[in-house]
Amino acid sequence: MKKDSILYTVVFSFTVTFLFVFLLAIANESTSGIVQQNQELARQKAVLLAMTVPFKTDEEVRTLYGSIETVEKEGVKLFKGSQAGKTVYAKEFRGSGLWGTITGILAVDESVSQIVGIQIVTHNETPGLGGRIADSWFKDQFRGLKVKNGKILVTYGAEAGSGRANKEEGIADGITGASRTSQAMDAMLNNELTVLKKLLGGSK
Amino acid sequence: MTAKDVKKISRENLWFNNPIFIQILGICSTLAVTNLLTNTFIMTVGVTFVAAFSNLTIAFMKEWIPRKVRMIVQVLIISFYVIIVDILLRAFLPEISKSLGPYVGLIITNCILMGRAEAFAQSNPPLPAFWDGLTSGIGYMWVLMAIAFVREFLGFGTLFGIPVAPSWFPQWTIMVMAPSAFFLLALLLWIAKNRMTGGKA
Repeated sequence: MKKDSILYTVVFSFTVTFLFVFLLAIANESTSGIVQQNQELARQKAVLLAMTVPFKTDEEVRTLYGSIETVEKEGVKLFKGSQAGKTVYAKEFRGSGLWGTITGILAVDESVSQIVGIQIVTHNETPGLGGRIADSWFKDQFRGLKVKNGKILVTYGAEAGSGRANKEEGIADGITGASRTSQAMDAMLNNELTVLKKLLGGSK
Repeated sequence: MTAKDVKKISRENLWFNNPIFIQILGICSTLAVTNLLTNTFIMTVGVTFVAAFSNLTIAFMKEWIPRKVRMIVQVLIISFYVIIVDILLRAFLPEISKSLGPYVGLIITNCILMGRAEAFAQSNPPLPAFWDGLTSGIGYMWVLMAIAFVREFLGFGTLFGIPVAPSWFPQWTIMVMAPSAFFLLALLLWIAKNRMTGGKA
């Protein structure tokens, strides 16, 4: 067969593509177990971190996670735990960021008057910009952030990093250079707070 | 491959024909990922790995590749290695994989890979091609690391995430954002060109 004939070209392209894709399929299949475990562990860690449950090893994560109660309210799964004698509820959330879906865990106190913590499980935001929502400086702002009139505020645009952040007033700093992501976080968290308030029936 | 070839290829790729300085390739990622040293490092290691192995594979297969579909096959091989990198990161370094997000997949679009495949691997034996890919990747890596060093230090006051700047140090927000990479890259190009030509350009 001549190397430049159409038949050779077609057969060659088909064979090469098949071969490489086949190898990829094997690689993907053989690591999918580990990847899934990683994802599950990351999710469990996020629940614990959001609820401020301390842990050290991966083993501890599994046992501690196992001890967290799950309750269902109106078809929504909530995690129920206690921290320093107070009941803490956590809920998985998801919403759209700039590039894709952001999923995470939001933990609040029983009356939804204060955020206990947030964690980001998955996101596709720009590394170094919106991707910084997964950094601890950003997430730590939500520890003990007061919910004012059922709302919080994540600043964005010119206000991000302007020093307006105030835990008592329910204001967290957005990320400079990542307005859309900050805005998305603001919308997502407020949305979740409304849902949680309804479910938990916090009257205050 | 003689010792002379080894030296010549390295000199070319690391300095005299550096993918960033001279070929001006791979600029998107130079602008995008260089605000943190850790991300830059992992990403450039990924590019180096892909460049080396895709060059090696292409050089091995070049006798059988019909000219008409040459570039499609090159892209196929490059994307194969990129996906392998992505799978490995997801399985064994989940944290890094998370912080790099879409950039791993975008290694495919790095022009250096196609450039080396087409310019070198297509017409050279496997071993020199492997070496060429490796040194091209390293040539790309050191320039990006130099930019990331300045950007992370001035932008966050940290190096590899470790705080090094004193607390009164004002963080330069511009350094975190993409425009600063333009300034820094241009400055670096200017300095490098000047050194290469002895200021007689």
